[in-house]
Amino acid sequence: MKIRTLNFQLGLVLIILSGCSATTTIDEYRPTDQPIFLNSDEKVVILGRRDAGHYETDREFIECVGKKVTSGEVKVLPEQQFIDAIYPWFEPRTAPKGLPRLKRLMQQRSIKAKVDALSIRYLVWLDGSTETTGQGGSMSCAIGPGGGGCLGFAQWDKLSVYEATVWDLEELVEKGRLRVDSEGTSYLIGAVAPIPLLTPVKNDACNSLGNQLKSFFSVE
Amino acid sequence: MKRIVGLVLIVFLAGCSSSASVKISTVFPSVVSESKPINASILIEDSFATYVGAPNKNTKIDIGAGQINLLKSAFSGLFETVDFITSLDQISPETDLIITPSVLEVQVSTPSENYLNVFEVWIKYNLEIKAADGTPITNWFMPAYGKTPDSFMASKENAIEQATVIALRDAGAKLMLDFYRIPAINDWLSRQNIKQESR
Repeated sequence: MKIRTLNFQLGLVLIILSGCSATTTIDEYRPTDQPIFLNSDEKVVILGRRDAGHYETDREFIECVGKKVTSGEVKVLPEQQFIDAIYPWFEPRTAPKGLPRLKRLMQQRSIKAKVDALSIRYLVWLDGSTETTGQGGSMSCAIGPGGGGCLGFAQWDKLSVYEATVWDLEELVEKGRLRVDSEGTSYLIGAVAPIPLLTPVKNDACNSLGNQLKSFFSVE
Repeated sequence: MKRIVGLVLIVFLAGCSSSASVKISTVFPSVVSESKPINASILIEDSFATYVGAPNKNTKIDIGAGQINLLKSAFSGLFETVDFITSLDQISPETDLIITPSVLEVQVSTPSENYLNVFEVWIKYNLEIKAADGTPITNWFMPAYGKTPDSFMASKENAIEQATVIALRDAGAKLMLDFYRIPAINDWLSRQNIKQESR
């Protein structure tokens, strides 16, 4: 009887935890199957798009993807270090939105010299955000002289959509694109103490995008 | 015990205060640019060097030192020689352009006002640009904008400081991008070329 109860409880925990996993889809576009080569001195810089009015790609996500890519042999220059070194050409107002503008920028000798001095070969633009798409349930908490507690149930859906575009700063061409969609539902159960069951949607998007991006590059 | 509880309450309530006083003393990065062979004198008036924006009765933003740091970096990217002067009698005889920057207005928008999860700052500059002989070339209105990525867990002071630094960086970017696109400056430059060719 005890074993049956234990199995039931274990099953319940598994069902709850499986409900907290994110569904992640990655779309990849590359003109060729060949990896993107860079030599041991060359670096990659990952930048977030910040020109849209209603959202901006958060630095935490850029750092997370950067760490994933760095865990291989690829060297990644921190975003702010690059933006400061090349100021003011990658500010929200001035950052190139397309290859024609990048080509014009790289025609300026001082900018090209700075990019060369930093040994930046590839630039990865990350554009996207994580949003809460739906919420439901209700929870009420109260506190009194005898103690306090919460009762109820709340849930919310999160959706992370990020697109990565890889630019070659030497050949001034686009080398590939990646898009990650990750969604999941998080729960908050109020049984005296609030029990959060959070789905790491953004973290999943970062892991998937970072690992896929890492596989794009090959150090010669 | 009561004292500790009282102290904790005060700390919490101070965190909720709606006033903010911010001083910007950030050192901005040097600009990457090819400067033109122009000698410029930048007239920094006292009111500009000590400017404190008061967008509302609860907010004060001291941008004097920060904006001078920024302009020193930005103007050195535009002109081959830049002199920062505090009065007109300091102008050197080689000067081609005299620029007097001033702040017209500073505006702030908080999440409770804009219903967005961000703090925003606008700084409206005016650049009075004159030729060496004092002939007015143009008055250039230069707006700059900065916002925080979000306001999550940020104190009002920190958020306004962050947005102001971004707005000042934007001012530098706007200056570098658009200064030589000002029609009056373009005309003045072409006249200078004609003068140099006819010499």
